[in-house]
This record gives sequence, C-alpha cells and structure tokens, in this order.
Amino acid sequence: MNRYAMLTAFGQDRPGIVAALAEGLFELGCNIEDTCMTRLRGEFTMMVMVRLPDGLSADQLASRLTPHTSPLGLTVLCREVPARAAERGSEPDAPVFMLSVYGADHPGIVAKIARVVADHGGNITDMNTRVIGAEDRPVYTMILEVQMRAESQPAALGHALDGLKPSLGVDLTFRPLEQVRL
Amino acid sequence: MGFCDNLLIVAAQPILLYPDPALKAKTARVDPANPEVAAIVQDMLDTLKASPGVALAAPQIGRLVQIIVVDVSRKKGEQGHGLVVLLNPHILQQDGPRIIREGCLSLPDYTGNVLRYERTLVQGLSPDGLPVTLATSGFEALAFQHELDHLDGRLFLDRIESLSTDLFRRKS
Repeated sequence: MNRYAMLTAFGQDRPGIVAALAEGLFELGCNIEDTCMTRLRGEFTMMVMVRLPDGLSADQLASRLTPHTSPLGLTVLCREVPARAAERGSEPDAPVFMLSVYGADHPGIVAKIARVVADHGGNITDMNTRVIGAEDRPVYTMILEVQMRAESQPAALGHALDGLKPSLGVDLTFRPLEQVRL
Repeated sequence: MGFCDNLLIVAAQPILLYPDPALKAKTARVDPANPEVAAIVQDMLDTLKASPGVALAAPQIGRLVQIIVVDVSRKKGEQGHGLVVLLNPHILQQDGPRIIREGCLSLPDYTGNVLRYERTLVQGLSPDGLPVTLATSGFEALAFQHELDHLDGRLFLDRIESLSTDLFRRKS
C-alpha cells in the first residue's frame, strides 16, 4: 500500500528553491506526485504531495530534508495524508462555476463570500486573491472556482451573491465554466 | 504520405492515447483523388461512431494526414452543420475569445482551461475535392479548433491558460 505525505514549504523567494527541494526529495526516494507552487508577493510558497519510500515516515522526511532546505531559510512542514485522499481519481463530474469578486479593500470580503458559497452547497476548489490597484486606493480581487453538487442550486447561489454586493461594496460575476470533451 | 497498409479493413480503430507519438507528429496534406483517402475517412467515421465523442482528427487513429471529421449533432441539443468531413482544413478567421474547460479523447480523465474562440471560419476540401467554407459558432466552433490543433500535433495541454497567473500578472 502506498503512503503519501503533504509537504508545505515557504520562505523568502530566490532562485534555486524548487531545485533544492526536488533534489532532496529525489535523494530520499520520494516521488513527487502533484504540486502547487506560487509566490505570494516576495514569499515562495509550495505544496507538494509526495509518495513516501518504504521505511520513511513523514516526520523523518521533514528532518532529513533540513540539510537541503535550511541553507535557503525555508520553513518546511510535513504530514502523512491518507492514501484514499492521495490516490489519483478522475475529477468528479460536477458543474464548475467561476466567481470573480472585486471592490475597495476592506476586511471581511472573503469570509462573507465564502460563507454564502458554503451555505449553498458550493465547494471552493481553487482560489486566488490579490490586492491590486493604486497604493492609496487598494482594490481587493478574488477569483474562485466553485463546484456545485448536483442537488444544490447555482441560481440560488448567484442570487445570494448578488444580494451581498451593496453591503460588501463589491462587484462580482458568477458564471458557469463551460466544459467540453472533444 | 505515410499511409498504413491495412487499407481494405474498414472498421473502428482504437483512439490513440497520449503519449503515443502520432499525437505530436506533423501531418501531411492529402490529395482527394487518392483512393487511400476514402479508406481513411471511412475508418475515421467508423471510429467516431463507436466513440463517445463528436469529432476526430486522423492522427488520433494513427494516420498522419490532414483529415478531420466533426459531427456535433452527436451531442444532445447541438445541431451545427451535422456530419462534416474536411480535408486539408485551416482556419480563416476567428473571434470572440473565451476560456473553456476542455477535455480530449486522447487524454482521458483530464481537463484544462484553454483559450478558444466563439466563432471560427473554417476552410478545406470535401472528400470529393470541392472547396468548403464553414462559418461555425459555439460548441461546433470549439470542436473545429480542437481538431485542427490535432493536425498540428497540438493538444489542449499546449494551450492551457492559467486564470490566476494570466489575469493577475503584475507589471515588473
């Protein structure tokens, strides 16, 4: 039975971080499965799902990576994840929607939007937020990918989101992402 | 042209899956007068009929030639131009960019967000060699764009656009 670990790493961005992490994992016999890496402003952030070799625990992985990661000043966390969550499966065939939200920056936008999505049975499967705009007039922007369970109602969610616009002071669009198989 | 040799066997062929090299290969233009073309078209039609899809390009059955078959009426609620067989097709113009989530018979169980166009004007030859120009839109336009990519050895993976990085790319 395969065993998997989720590794998260972050630290000040500089060239060579991915190379150092990947080399360390390779030398320890780990197989990189799926990865998500980006920079949040000047900070390097990465999440890697790895398949562990026999005899290596997730805790051991974190400590044995230290020689590779500490010279780069990286913070590395590692936890084992259940195989049933880590094994490859095909995407569920639920309809996908994109939700764009933007407006003058103030606290609470994400919390209010995400709560409405959750209460309507929407599952947030991807999310990016950025503060853009001029220094003195920051604009908060957020793009969410939302999967709707079959029994939940996208129209009701769209209506509820529209209802948030005046109180949150945001503009938003909620639209289906057309999926085609050719 | 590198035609395969079992020309007399007309039957549904297996749809090749990536990483089969045929899916990344260059394709040759065809001469409608060549009798081998009709055999390939028939194989493609049989294969399409046996598949869950609405369109096929010749490389997907291992023929490195510029032939596509499209029939969006195989999908419920779609009409388009019905069954279209096009030789040596190319896109004359397209407009109305949109991001859609696309999947491919040759890369099952995976989809990606790609930039496509709402309307596409396609030109090519019918199987009997007559010039054809088709104005397509919506799902049918997407199908033509997808199949024409196959003739260039291009998969949707070559077109993936990242909403997050593209939309929010900062000026450096």
